[in-house]
Amino acid sequence: MRKILRLLVALSMIILVLPPALQAQQRTLTGTVVSEDDKTPLAGVTVRVKGTRRITQTDANGHFSIQVNAGETLEFSHVGYAPQSAKADGNTVGISLKASDNTMGEVVVTAMDIKRNSRELGYSAQRVGGKEIAETQRENFLNSLQGRVAGITITPTSGQAGASSQVVLRGFNSMTGGNQPLFVIDGIILDNTTINETSNGGSGIGLASDLPNRNNDYTNRIGDLNPADIETITVLKGPEATALYGSQASAGAIVITTKKAATGPGAVKIGVSYDNSFRLIDVSSRIAPLNNEFGIGSNGVGTSSFSATSGTFFGPRYPAGTKRFDNIHNFFQTGKAQTHNLSMDIGFKNVGFKVSGSFFDEAGVVPGNNYTKYNLRITNTTKITKWLDISPSFQYINSTNDKPLRSAGGYLLGLYIWPNNVDIRNYTDADGNKVSVFSSDPYSEIDNPLYNVHQNVSHDKNKRMIFSGGININPFSWLSISGRFGYDTYSADGYTFYSPLSYLTSRAQNGGFGRLTNYWRDYKGYNHTITATAKKDIGKFSGRLMVGQMWQDYRTEVFSITGTNLVDSIGTLPSNFNKLYKNGQIVTDANFEQTVGAKTDSNITRPNTRVRLARNKFGLPNVLNIRQNAYFGEVGISYNNLAFLSYTHRFEEASVFPKQNRKFDYPGMSASVILSDIFPALKKGNVISYWKLRGSRAETARYPDAYKNQSVFVDNFTSSAVGSIYSYGFDNNNPDLRPERQKTYEIGTELRLFNSRLSFDLAYYNTLCTDQIVNQFRASYATGYVLNTQNAASIKNQGVELVTDVVPVQRANFAWNIRFNFAHMWSKVLTLPDAIAYEMYIADTWLYQNARGGMVRGMPATTITGFHYLRNTRGQIIISPTTGLPIQEQTFTVIGDRMPDFTLGTLNNIRYKNWNLSFLWDLKVGGDVWDATDQYLTWQGKSQRTADREKPRVIQGVLQDGKENTATPTANTIVVVPYYQQAYYTGMPEEEFIEHNVNYLRLRDLTLSYTFPARSLSRLGWLKSLALFVTGNDLIVWSNYRGADPTANGNTAGSNGVGGMGMDYGSLPTPRAVNFGLRANFR
Amino acid sequence: MKLNFKYLIAAGIVGIVAFNSCSKKIDEAYSNPNAAIEQPIEQIFPSLIGSLTGSSSAAGSAYGQCGDALLIGRYIQSWGSYVASSTDNFGGFYDKMAGVVGASDNMGSMWAAHYYGMGQNLNRVIEWGMRDQKWDFVGAAWALRAWTLFECTNQYGEMILKEAFNTNLQQFHYDSQEEIYDSVRIICRRAVNFLSMTGGGMDPTKFAASDFYFNKGSLDRWKKFAYGILARSYAYISNKASYSADSVVKYCNLSLSTNDDNATAKFQSTGITGTSNYYGTARGNVNNSTSGTAIRQTAFIADLMSGANTLAFPGVGDPRAWYLLRGNLYGTIRGFSPSWSTAINPPLIDSLKPESFVGTPYATVGYTGVGVLVPGVLTTNGTAGKYIFRDEAEFPIMTASEIAFLKAEALVRKGDYAGAKTAYVNGIGLNFDMLKTKYNVNIPAGKAIDDAVRDAYLSNPVVVPVTPTAANMTLTKVMLQKYIAMYAWGVHDTWADMRRYHYSDPDPATSQQVYAGFKVPSGVDLNSLTGNNNGKLVYRTRPRYNSEYLYNIPALTLIGAYPVGNDYHTKECWFSKP
Repeated sequence: MRKILRLLVALSMIILVLPPALQAQQRTLTGTVVSEDDKTPLAGVTVRVKGTRRITQTDANGHFSIQVNAGETLEFSHVGYAPQSAKADGNTVGISLKASDNTMGEVVVTAMDIKRNSRELGYSAQRVGGKEIAETQRENFLNSLQGRVAGITITPTSGQAGASSQVVLRGFNSMTGGNQPLFVIDGIILDNTTINETSNGGSGIGLASDLPNRNNDYTNRIGDLNPADIETITVLKGPEATALYGSQASAGAIVITTKKAATGPGAVKIGVSYDNSFRLIDVSSRIAPLNNEFGIGSNGVGTSSFSATSGTFFGPRYPAGTKRFDNIHNFFQTGKAQTHNLSMDIGFKNVGFKVSGSFFDEAGVVPGNNYTKYNLRITNTTKITKWLDISPSFQYINSTNDKPLRSAGGYLLGLYIWPNNVDIRNYTDADGNKVSVFSSDPYSEIDNPLYNVHQNVSHDKNKRMIFSGGININPFSWLSISGRFGYDTYSADGYTFYSPLSYLTSRAQNGGFGRLTNYWRDYKGYNHTITATAKKDIGKFSGRLMVGQMWQDYRTEVFSITGTNLVDSIGTLPSNFNKLYKNGQIVTDANFEQTVGAKTDSNITRPNTRVRLARNKFGLPNVLNIRQNAYFGEVGISYNNLAFLSYTHRFEEASVFPKQNRKFDYPGMSASVILSDIFPALKKGNVISYWKLRGSRAETARYPDAYKNQSVFVDNFTSSAVGSIYSYGFDNNNPDLRPERQKTYEIGTELRLFNSRLSFDLAYYNTLCTDQIVNQFRASYATGYVLNTQNAASIKNQGVELVTDVVPVQRANFAWNIRFNFAHMWSKVLTLPDAIAYEMYIADTWLYQNARGGMVRGMPATTITGFHYLRNTRGQIIISPTTGLPIQEQTFTVIGDRMPDFTLGTLNNIRYKNWNLSFLWDLKVGGDVWDATDQYLTWQGKSQRTADREKPRVIQGVLQDGKENTATPTANTIVVVPYYQQAYYTGMPEEEFIEHNVNYLRLRDLTLSYTFPARSLSRLGWLKSLALFVTGNDLIVWSNYRGADPTANGNTAGSNGVGGMGMDYGSLPTPRAVNFGLRANFR
Repeated sequence: MKLNFKYLIAAGIVGIVAFNSCSKKIDEAYSNPNAAIEQPIEQIFPSLIGSLTGSSSAAGSAYGQCGDALLIGRYIQSWGSYVASSTDNFGGFYDKMAGVVGASDNMGSMWAAHYYGMGQNLNRVIEWGMRDQKWDFVGAAWALRAWTLFECTNQYGEMILKEAFNTNLQQFHYDSQEEIYDSVRIICRRAVNFLSMTGGGMDPTKFAASDFYFNKGSLDRWKKFAYGILARSYAYISNKASYSADSVVKYCNLSLSTNDDNATAKFQSTGITGTSNYYGTARGNVNNSTSGTAIRQTAFIADLMSGANTLAFPGVGDPRAWYLLRGNLYGTIRGFSPSWSTAINPPLIDSLKPESFVGTPYATVGYTGVGVLVPGVLTTNGTAGKYIFRDEAEFPIMTASEIAFLKAEALVRKGDYAGAKTAYVNGIGLNFDMLKTKYNVNIPAGKAIDDAVRDAYLSNPVVVPVTPTAANMTLTKVMLQKYIAMYAWGVHDTWADMRRYHYSDPDPATSQQVYAGFKVPSGVDLNSLTGNNNGKLVYRTRPRYNSEYLYNIPALTLIGAYPVGNDYHTKECWFSKP
């Protein structure tokens, strides 16, 4: 850490002492800019000297003046007009700008790294600039996309540093498979896996401990990218756009273009830039208030046992004067992070290099949560001949993450229910043994959260290398051939260590005497895409024919082992309670390494407790290997740059299917017409500048996980005279699986008004997924198995997106842009496997008690099913005549839907002279959240709900007396006092904890920056530009949500289907953060 | 020159595309490298043998006949509850012939054995055995398929036959028992055909090793086992007009004839549960002394063998009793009454209550001290099972003795009393011999059987009529001796027998119950707990809950097994109907 800083300082010094470039002789040039149509002066036109930071704007009379050197070029740009440039010869210049719809020069990078004019596109493709992303200072760039792109849903797992983020475009199309989009960087496909801990009893590539993706988190690998390297991001939302990428992109694609060195005559010879950011992070002010007035006990009677099973804090009120501790604040710390980016451009006529390095380090708000990342990237662009250029690049990323355990048994729930008359800071004795509240038995009470974060530790280390190569050949004017080759590899290793004294490893749970799980994971991904494109114009028609091939080979290898019994025994007599013994010696924190071994070494577990992945037993890794070959083609025809039509077809062959189902193909087509150009009359009156209609339709396929069609044998333990014997495992890995089929159409329109000061992009999409592969559903044993995977479900997904751009002010010294990203989506489960009578659920999402992500026919895919109140035919709650409390109906029925009514991101960008202010408001309206944290706290007597427990009340409802379903049910009149009857709280069903229609308005990012005027820097010739900034993240969250943060996710991004979005169980809220730093460019 | 270079590169790229042998590479990545998708059938076959009684695997255990037999054994009063629990699906519940209720997989072990435990494993043995021409494995697998199908249909009635093992279906229709009986017979004949084949890829040593814990590789014994299933299938339709005694006799004659032919599941008994007899102490299914599932022998079997049954073999102490049953504090053999109302079944005093099948005394306190004074009483306290209640004990699936009784019954029905007597005597004698050789373990001193003891028993005219006639060579004698000979292991088939006689059908020769002394529950004793019998006796069990009652409801509804609570388990099966 310190070394890095020193290095950076040293580098800065070197740069500082470089001789300042000679200042050329400058002169003042003045001029006037008018509109070509009516020759009226244009105000607010930006005038810039090309390749420099010298910039100005025209005044109300269209006049401007600027300093120029001989031979320099002026660039003129203005909203609603086509840009123009002019040589800075002479002392005055007169320019007339031509009105335009602003689309002619807009280039969008689409599938296959193909650059297309946005006019041509028959589908929506939304772009975000790299600068905008980097400016948010979010180390996982995905988190900056929420609100900036209509139809994208980013759900971070928690507010911990290094947490994974679930990203979904346009809703959930797969019920039990993956829904994350494909990531394509400079034309090659990169991995975005979040480790899925589930290993299906050791046969998969999860962990040997085979966990449900709740208690631990692993960064999603696309978060490895350095945000500062990103030039632009294009989000291709529908499969129309990705018909060419095929099945992997059936959930859309996020296409990233990175920054590259410029070449050519205007290129900088050498340029260095440096920026940094220092961040302060706070979360404790975001924690929802607790009820801390009552002591431990039940039904109003105090006890002295703190088991933290249901119903802990139902004792008497704390007597006045009881000493209290601010445990929340004593637990959390102010998080600190720093980022340093250094990059260097070297450009010559035909060769350019860009080298960039980044260092990020965060100590999170939770003690023990640290995330560190180093990035190094070198790219080159070389124009070998006129018709051949290449662009190789190399990237190295090294990241480490220390993370405490979350969700059930995690520190947060422990912190919430820690008795606040007990000081949380007193958690270990001198030997490192756990100090409990009442009991001397370490397993009878939950862990002190500080003990938990310090003694139950989890660590990941990841080293990644990405090689990519691009080659473009243009042998003839009509033909271009390009190849993109990518090799992406990483090795990760990590461990999770549970202290032998932790409640989480007690005899009853998780194995005894501590647990250590280790893994080692190696990924190698190769892919290439080769395309040949021919173009031909005949009269007003232009034709384009593209053919290509794509090869993909992704291989993951995993070793994992888990074991328990780190120590031999733990003292049980009162005199030696808590003492750990290993080989007859007492183990303390201080001698742990000597007596037991390193906490990272799997040898410290007892051999007969060790569990490995299936092939690990033979010294081989478990493997997941997917290969795919595809041929594809596209025919495009356009007429007079007004109407565009394209047809694509893709043929795939994928290794995940048996031979007979391995080859499949699907078409895609799209059309776009520029109405405003076809009927120029529309543009009269200067209202409509541009109007485009577009439509597209595509099919694609989806894959199951690999090997889902091959049932495997497991050990059989019956008597045998032939050695090892085998029988089938539970899974019917159906040999007849076919690809899932997905059909989508999208229609949309783009409209720009008043010289593009107001523009709209509206889209409607409709996706039908049939033949969905449902994993591991139960059916009759008549299949010959217990769990089944079959093509057996279908779902429909629809939505509307509206992107609106407004330019309220556009003047020389003051400019203001606003973008609104609106999205509304809805889905319907059409069919489920016939064997499922009512509800199908994702096992991972069954986080706590009796609610889970359950899907029901005819309902959205995002529903939550759970237990609820028993009601009569009129919907009134039925009350037990003996207790006066409601009766629960213990069946899983739909009790909530997590899909919001709509989301609206509002992005403002305001520039005033040298000041720039940008901020993003993210609004979500509707959508339910299961506040399982509150349920846990309510059942424990810690929720604010339980504050008025002394107040007598009558629950509104009718008595269960046989008349409940008649015309005259008996109204309940039984008075209950929850203080004496804690079942009032502990008997509340999950339904009670579904918070309906949760809205929030969140100030996601706010950046204020100041760029020093070039004049003020002129004394420092070596300094080209300097800016200072301050950025706030998640500064404001207004919400009607009762809990801490409505964007909770109960699972990691490694979970399938809808995952744990909208399920809040022990998730750390998103902290608020303030960053400040500088950006400097050197000559 | 330059142009040529361009062509070269373009051609090179086309070449990369064209010469990528993609399909081959894709095929290489298809197979699951983490776990085997194919194993030698030699190493799958033993798992099928394990599923005869109670399987043990990394993906599910206890599928086989034993788990269900523990409960069905209460219907036929082989044993009853130690604790008269008042809870559904426990103890006294099944003593009263109740059907399974609620979310319980009770009575689902055979279902799971047929469809899952053996299921696709057996299909693969056949498929890969056919491919490799290992006819011995194929034939044996078919014989096992016939066995589970037959035992299952007798237990469950209608079953999924035609649509079974289709991995693409989500709902499965049931087929009639008549069709299943036809299928069983076809499969048995197919099994015999394969077992009679020679050559191909057969290696008798390999088959013998795989089959070590069942028929030890003897194809002859496998064929006799298949014929035995055929014999059962013709015998069990005894109430039908189509019943043919000759068919029964024919297949009995082709089936097991000596104790060496006996089809018994054997156990390696290495100390782990999977290699142990389901009823042995290691697996702990019968040595739980106090829970609601703990069992003790009933009065019916105890009285039958001790001479206390006044209607059958009165006054004759059966020497086999000390092999099959357990003593009490006073060294006598008495049985528990099922958990019925005490007015009908007065309870034994504690000191007369038998120890468990693995030697757990009735009440530990005060027992050992007194018990040691009483000769003949074992005070092994739950560790010493005898008969089939031992970890290493062979568990009969079919015996020559049983086949002899099937023949005897057929000949009685045919009126060939002399022939019937021969078969009957043969059946008893074979059973004596089997006990004497295989189960002579933990027998109290002085109680061992030898040939003289056997012959004395067989020469007792109360047991064996000197001159067989319609009046003395009765179905009662045959069926009760068969009951004894199949005690504890032949629960499924004994239940089929008793249902054929509707538990209380009279013997035409004596006008008394064939199952003389068998108390048929009625009134509150016919499942007073939930009343789900509706006054009727039990005639089948419902299919496995976690297979059918959650995931195949439409099909259950069609056969009348759903909604629950409609006394489906009292619906008589096709086989026992006229």
